[in-house]
Amino acid sequence: MPVSKKILLVDDNQLVLEMMGRALDKEGFYCMKAISASAAMDMLKLDTPDIILSDYHMPDMNGFQFRQNLIGMPDYSDIPFMFLTSEGDNNLMLEGINLEAVDYILKGTPVPVIVSKINNFLHTVREQHERALKELSKAAVSLNLNSIPQKNPIVKGFDVDFWHKPFQNYPGGDFIDFITINEQYTFVVLGDVMGKKWGAWYFSFGFLSYIRAAVRICISEGNFSTKSILQKINAVVYHDPVVNDVLSSLSLIMIDTVDASIKYSGAGDLPLLYYNSAEKTTVQITSAGMLLGLMPDGDFDEFILKLNTGDQIFLLTDGIIDFEGVEGKRTDYNTFITAITPYLGESFSEFKKGNFLKEKTIAHVDDCSLIFLQKIA
Amino acid sequence: MILTTNTNKNALIANVEAKEANLTVADNLKEELVALIDKGNKFIVVNFENVVYVDSSFLGALVSSLKYAIANQADIVIAGLNKDIFALFQLIRLDKAFKIFTTADEAAASKAL
Repeated sequence: MPVSKKILLVDDNQLVLEMMGRALDKEGFYCMKAISASAAMDMLKLDTPDIILSDYHMPDMNGFQFRQNLIGMPDYSDIPFMFLTSEGDNNLMLEGINLEAVDYILKGTPVPVIVSKINNFLHTVREQHERALKELSKAAVSLNLNSIPQKNPIVKGFDVDFWHKPFQNYPGGDFIDFITINEQYTFVVLGDVMGKKWGAWYFSFGFLSYIRAAVRICISEGNFSTKSILQKINAVVYHDPVVNDVLSSLSLIMIDTVDASIKYSGAGDLPLLYYNSAEKTTVQITSAGMLLGLMPDGDFDEFILKLNTGDQIFLLTDGIIDFEGVEGKRTDYNTFITAITPYLGESFSEFKKGNFLKEKTIAHVDDCSLIFLQKIA
Repeated sequence: MILTTNTNKNALIANVEAKEANLTVADNLKEELVALIDKGNKFIVVNFENVVYVDSSFLGALVSSLKYAIANQADIVIAGLNKDIFALFQLIRLDKAFKIFTTADEAAASKAL
């Protein structure tokens, strides 16, 4: 589903704002309406539209002055700008176009034509954007920069699987890793760097490197405590100037195949879901730890769960609990739990094919990740 | 500007002026809070009264501002969270990092005592 495009309409005539606003709303656009250039400047501080459609004749600041101001502001100069005005003087039209405007449309133009012009322009922008994105992704893959595993780990007596959906196909802040120590121990890592798109993606490698190092160091010292691994990671992140301005959640699980158990510690992560197959009940396990790097002492704890055949564990990041509701976006963990409960207990491959995740893919507003563990015979 | 400010007793109230507090305003939040701390404000109440949704980028900026505040012997507290956002704060244990008050007045009063 295409995300609805935001248009900032600027016109000193309330009637034009309402009429154009309604026509564009009908076409699936979301309209921000400003009655003057200075009102538009205020709106830009709060939200970034995909395109600005501005009148020329306005009291105080006219459309050209408005455009010139925007060109001088690095935050706004890249937002595509179109004039929509009744001013048909050839010289002025030329002057307007020369202000790096993508189009100059006369107000007499039929509304469907205006809508098509906007649509065509945004379509071209989107295509170029996607091409650039593909190139970048290709470069990242060729450098072997993966914050999401290429395949599931093989763990004796366990089925381990995951589902990941990046936000608008950007690589994002979620990271997943499976660290196989030996036949007995495998670590499962799920983290979420707080941020979106490239910035968060870049830092996810920093965090992943620390986590891998801490796991290996603790194991080599004979320390098999997820809590003490988190303490070590937290101490490093808290003091490291490269990552200490960025925060990340982390769920860390150590699977013990001999003992048929898991150890779990979390840092600012969402509760883990534990499905007990014999009792057909689901329990949420909430760890005490704070986000990595937030406080010198992260207040971490550790849970040990013995798993019987059929028992399942779900780990998730917060993107999956966001919803695009009737009144806008909202975050609601309980709605998510109610929605997922009927699916617990069934096989993950069926779950992955089912409607639940399909609907999530359509509605999601951030990276979404889910890791699944099941004790098998 | 994403924040508008007013003083209440010994507290500086910083009102978040966005319905959807997300990636597009996260950097502004951090910059503006850092500037307020640099000006010498020691007790800042970030008021979420007008906010209906926060994303993780915004929360990240808020938490990173708190770290800056602590390093500068200042404090940031939170007020005016709606039900969903308050639940989210609890869910990821941000209620351990921030003092949370029902209203900005209540937060300001806590400092006046």
